[in-house]
Amino acid sequence: MSISMALFSPPISSSLQNPNLIPKISVSLLSTKRFSLVSVTRASSDNGTTTPASASASTTTVEIPKVVAEKATVKSPAESSSASKNGAVGGEEADLATTTVIKFQDAKWVNGTWDLKQFEKEGKTDWDSVIVAEAKRRKWLEDNPETTTNDEPVLFDTSIIPWWAWMKRYHLPEAELLNGRAAMIGFFMAYFVDSLTGVGLVDQMGNFFCKTLLFVAVLGVLFIRKNEDLDKLKGLFEETTLYDKQWQAAWKEPDSDK
Amino acid sequence: MATFTLKSFTGLRQSSTEQTNFVSHVPSSLSRSQRRNSLRVTAARSSPKLANRNLRVAVIGGGPAGGAAAETLAKGGIETILIERKMDNCKPCGGAIPLCMVGEFNLPLDIIDRRVTKMKMISPSNIAVDIGRTLKEHEYIGMVRREVLDAYLRERAEKSGATVINGLFLKMDLPENWDSPYLLHYTEYDGKTGATGQKKTMEVDAVIGADGANSRVAKSIGAGDYDYAIAFQERIRIPDDKMTYYEDLAEMYVGDDVSPDFYGWVFPKCDHVAVGTGTVTHKGDIKKFQLATRNRAKDKILGGKIIRVEAHPIPEHPRPRRLSKRVALVGDAAGYVTKCSGEGIYFAAKSGRMCAEAIVEGSQNGKKMIDEGDLRKYLEKWDKTYLPTYRVLDVLQKVFYRSNPAREAFVEMCGDEYVQKMTFDSYLYKRVAPGNPLEDLKLAVNTIGSLVRANALRREIEKLSV
Repeated sequence: MSISMALFSPPISSSLQNPNLIPKISVSLLSTKRFSLVSVTRASSDNGTTTPASASASTTTVEIPKVVAEKATVKSPAESSSASKNGAVGGEEADLATTTVIKFQDAKWVNGTWDLKQFEKEGKTDWDSVIVAEAKRRKWLEDNPETTTNDEPVLFDTSIIPWWAWMKRYHLPEAELLNGRAAMIGFFMAYFVDSLTGVGLVDQMGNFFCKTLLFVAVLGVLFIRKNEDLDKLKGLFEETTLYDKQWQAAWKEPDSDK
Repeated sequence: MATFTLKSFTGLRQSSTEQTNFVSHVPSSLSRSQRRNSLRVTAARSSPKLANRNLRVAVIGGGPAGGAAAETLAKGGIETILIERKMDNCKPCGGAIPLCMVGEFNLPLDIIDRRVTKMKMISPSNIAVDIGRTLKEHEYIGMVRREVLDAYLRERAEKSGATVINGLFLKMDLPENWDSPYLLHYTEYDGKTGATGQKKTMEVDAVIGADGANSRVAKSIGAGDYDYAIAFQERIRIPDDKMTYYEDLAEMYVGDDVSPDFYGWVFPKCDHVAVGTGTVTHKGDIKKFQLATRNRAKDKILGGKIIRVEAHPIPEHPRPRRLSKRVALVGDAAGYVTKCSGEGIYFAAKSGRMCAEAIVEGSQNGKKMIDEGDLRKYLEKWDKTYLPTYRVLDVLQKVFYRSNPAREAFVEMCGDEYVQKMTFDSYLYKRVAPGNPLEDLKLAVNTIGSLVRANALRREIEKLSV
């Protein structure tokens, strides 16, 4: 499995960069106190024959009360599993000096779910902070994928956060933005059409062409928010019909395919 | 508005001079609105009987598709030859078969190593959802060893009267006339001539190409190419105490780390587990994805030993041409693997059987020569029966395997009992069952809710990284 050993470098380098990123982020956010990173070293407890260096596996626990985490001893996010799997085969391949495993840890993350009691503000649950905490957890896991264990299953379900909390945080600001855009476009379009054709606002509303223009403007504001959205929409449309086309190809004329 | 006629048919009309009866066909004009295939070609009902012999059909490839096809052909009275290049081929495959396959193909229960009744879906943030609560007592997903299943189907074909040849199909010469035979070139392996085998040829009237993703038959008839995924799998023998967890449970891991457009899996086999992943778009990174899959399952496979590493292409969609004159493709060679779940064994066997049935019917149990129209009947029947299934799975893949938020929503949705019931119903019995409309509405609302929440969290994540 020397090939797989050579491929260890990509995962190592990518996850080494990120522990340094996260501390910087936690500095910038006000809610840093909650995010404590503890790096836990777990010596691989499999067949002890394979990793002679496991004895030297240093236990480094670094607490970040507020700010930066020093991951000085993070050498290799443990691929101890592969060392153990090559067990009888390649004991000499175990050149993983330390078996450091960084897991997601947070004071408020208890038993695989967020402890809502710790998120209370003035007697009521502060859903915004729950959402932010979950986002942080997901980001952490995206950058440092973790193993799943049966001892600590993840049980959190986002549907416990009530719908109005989502609305308040995401829908309303966006709705405000889009409505603002639509209003500005509407005002100026009404002015231009009036100046060009002399048709006032009330008469414009009765005209079919103007109503169509209004409909197009609303759809445009809704769906095209960035320049890339135009291409994305075109790609989406092609994507939806591609599979069908591939299936119908058998029923077309032979020379149309070659 | 296009008039769809087959070039081969117009050729037929001109070349066949000695026939007393002509093949009559009705070129049907396709209207743009009729997207479904409306190619109506009447079969060669009026072709003369074959003198002194039965129809000879060669089935290239002895996997589930080939074995099922050969058995049906042989039972239908057709002289069948099955050519398989490796009799003990241990194929890299998940090995999961739905319940209906056991009944439809009369599989003995002892070739099923394990009955999986529980599944765990694990999201990118390790939220795990248990699936299988809605299964009834007698329902399960069967895990088989491919070498056992394939050998069984081939033996059954042989017992029904097919001739099984251990050989490698090289190429075939296409016929000039509508009733000339196909000339197959193949290398036959027998104990005597050693590893290199002996080059031989054979004349047959029709060919069923069941030779898998890298089909040579498909190349011979110019069937065209398809997009394919690479599936990479490692078989790992884990300690017994860890094996009890996987006694009847299979796991599916989704996430960008595991695969950008597919899933990673841990499937239990007879005495080991198969850990693997696959991808279409990032084939070069497959080893990285495999490492990530092993990492995600690390705790549960700790102490395991890799006993085998295997990889194979999996077709993503059918080839542009699935048949040509008297050659038809079935199974992986045709590209009948579903999206989203990547299931292929059942569809391979079923398509082999359907194609063989069409040949048996068109030739009236081997008495008459067949032509392309008979094989088109198989395509029609196949598309009519299974296209909805394929379409639904394609939509699921497009919506839920797009990105990490979509996958999180997918796993959340899988926790819903109604979803589980519908999913298992359609998987185990291969029918797109119409559900309860009220529940469907609730499901739609919940799906949208999950997607919205997951995407909202993604926006939060993006805010964090800025």
